[in-house]
Amino acid sequence: MIAVRIAVLLALLAVPASLTGIWIRGADARLAETAPGEAAPVASASDVGYCNPELKRILRRVLLSCGLAGGSEARGCQPVQAKNVATMSGHDFNALFKPMKDRGGIVQFDKDKSELDAADLALVDQVFADQRGASWFFVVSRASPEGAVEHNRDLSKARAEAVMSHLHDQFKDPDLDKEVGMLWLGAEFAQLETEFCAWKRSAGGTCGGDEINRSAFIAWIDCQL
Amino acid sequence: MRGPDEKRMRSARPWLVLVIVGAVIGIVFAGISSYDFVQHLDRQVHSLHCSFIPGGTHAGTDSGCQAAMMSSYSSVFRTKLWGGLPISLPAMSVFAFLLFYAVDLLVTRRKDDRRATGFLALATALPALASAIMLTISLTKLGTVCKLCVCIYTASALCAIGAIVLWRRAVALGGVVMLRAKPRKRPEGSDPAWTSSAAEPESVSEPVRAASAPAASMGFLGAMFAVGCVFVAVPVILYFAMAPDHSHFVGTCEALPKPDDTYGIMVPLGTHAASAAPAIEILDPLCPACKAFEERLDKAGMAEDLDRKAVLFPLDNTCNWMVTEATHPGSCTVSEAILCAQQKGRAADVIAWAFDVQDRVRAEAKTDPTAAARLVKERFPELATCVGSPEAKARLNKSMRWVVANNIRVLTPQLYIDKVKLCDEDVDLGLEYTLSVMLDRHAHHTLVPATAEHP
Repeated sequence: MIAVRIAVLLALLAVPASLTGIWIRGADARLAETAPGEAAPVASASDVGYCNPELKRILRRVLLSCGLAGGSEARGCQPVQAKNVATMSGHDFNALFKPMKDRGGIVQFDKDKSELDAADLALVDQVFADQRGASWFFVVSRASPEGAVEHNRDLSKARAEAVMSHLHDQFKDPDLDKEVGMLWLGAEFAQLETEFCAWKRSAGGTCGGDEINRSAFIAWIDCQL
Repeated sequence: MRGPDEKRMRSARPWLVLVIVGAVIGIVFAGISSYDFVQHLDRQVHSLHCSFIPGGTHAGTDSGCQAAMMSSYSSVFRTKLWGGLPISLPAMSVFAFLLFYAVDLLVTRRKDDRRATGFLALATALPALASAIMLTISLTKLGTVCKLCVCIYTASALCAIGAIVLWRRAVALGGVVMLRAKPRKRPEGSDPAWTSSAAEPESVSEPVRAASAPAASMGFLGAMFAVGCVFVAVPVILYFAMAPDHSHFVGTCEALPKPDDTYGIMVPLGTHAASAAPAIEILDPLCPACKAFEERLDKAGMAEDLDRKAVLFPLDNTCNWMVTEATHPGSCTVSEAILCAQQKGRAADVIAWAFDVQDRVRAEAKTDPTAAARLVKERFPELATCVGSPEAKARLNKSMRWVVANNIRVLTPQLYIDKVKLCDEDVDLGLEYTLSVMLDRHAHHTLVPATAEHP
């Protein structure tokens, strides 16, 4: 009788004990063997479809030459520099930016002026705030062909700097100097075609070749370099 | 000729069988539950058994079984052992002991012994009481009931009912017998549990006396109690001795290469002790896992040990270019609201509100893109001008830029303590253990950031 009882005891004691041991060993073995599973992707900046190698090459050259990349102290590209680094026609240069229509806008200035009015400020704020995953913000300012070359250079530079100055004041972004690229083109290179009138603009009304070039083109560029 | 006493003694058997059946059911379902728990010690995701049929269908991630197992009530010693000791394991042992004891009563013919059956009733009270407590917790704290647990509760009830009836029967019967009992000498070679105090009924007929056994002595009951303890202790000791050491995983996940808040976008979370460890949580205010993580942290009592700051990372493609769809619709707007409220010192209120109403916001924002803004402005009118403004959008964008700069995975929640990531595998079952290890290492300045594995 005693033997039977002891046998029952041991058998039933063995159930939880042995199962515990077997299960833990199994888990331990899997733990040692298991390769890392599929992990979630790592966060990264945008690199969208239009960022083709040609665009990236131009962007890289512009960014290096205009002081954004490479730690140069220079800020912005002048017309001659822009022409040199772009190594392409004005038409082709402008074509690079056409895919960014939904990511940009055109700040229009009054004739021979570089001050931003309320509508200009609103457009700059709206476009800049919509950064999403973009790494670079371009301000490409121009002047209409009236006036002297030097004057137009200075005027377009003042327009680019007006935008930059507002961004500094409004957003107080520590990365601003590293992500905003300025080019002032005067009226010498890559004048905007009137098809850019269909972009988001800060002024309504007539939009001809003169009006669209009294401007600062602003856009986020969703490319990783 | 069989008398009334014999009939009463015979009727004990079905109740003992009921205890045995209950114990077997308990072993099976507590065993399945333990198996499911132990599976997770390999740090992988496993589906759970969740059926009234043993080994039946597996549960999805939103089942009661999942909720019960992942809750802090499923195990004990959670800071000492990764995942803790599943309470279903000692439960299985208790049922195994009840089975043993019930079979022993049958074999030794003590099913009419009021002491022996009283001990059985007392023993079955343990799983019955535990089941009552766990059922209450399930209904009041978890808001769900798991099928495996229901089977265990039922097994406990069967054992308790059978044992109590058996005991009450024995008491009633023993009362009659005791009146006519006389002392009897222990026969040579008999069961050591036999005692001189055992009574033999004078007037009971011979066949009935043959079916009875000597009454259980206190020594016998003490021995059985010890056996019960051994039943529980052996698997528990084995579990502690054999469970894999997860401490070496601490620090093996990602680290933060640029943890500084250069954009001023971090939002303080909760209150903390003066000696709390600095921590950064990647948070989506409409993410159910984030809410659950917050609750687990609170229940674990470890939130106070962490000086947490949240970096908002809404998994909503309205503002987050890293996701292709709105996993949590409305999350961008609510995140903006948190950043706006931070400037007014009310970020904690908005986060608490977002956790409370996240199901509603997600549901409404799914069909109406303006719903989240409307709900935020209804609840926090003072944020109306800020939410949706370029400044708010830019700040939220900077929050996501911080995430990019730190090579963080597109996942919420994530917790970094002193720049070292709490591995994703540790945010559920292993939370208390891993946090304990990390906090201890932080206190001893040995919490080392892993080398970043991303380019």
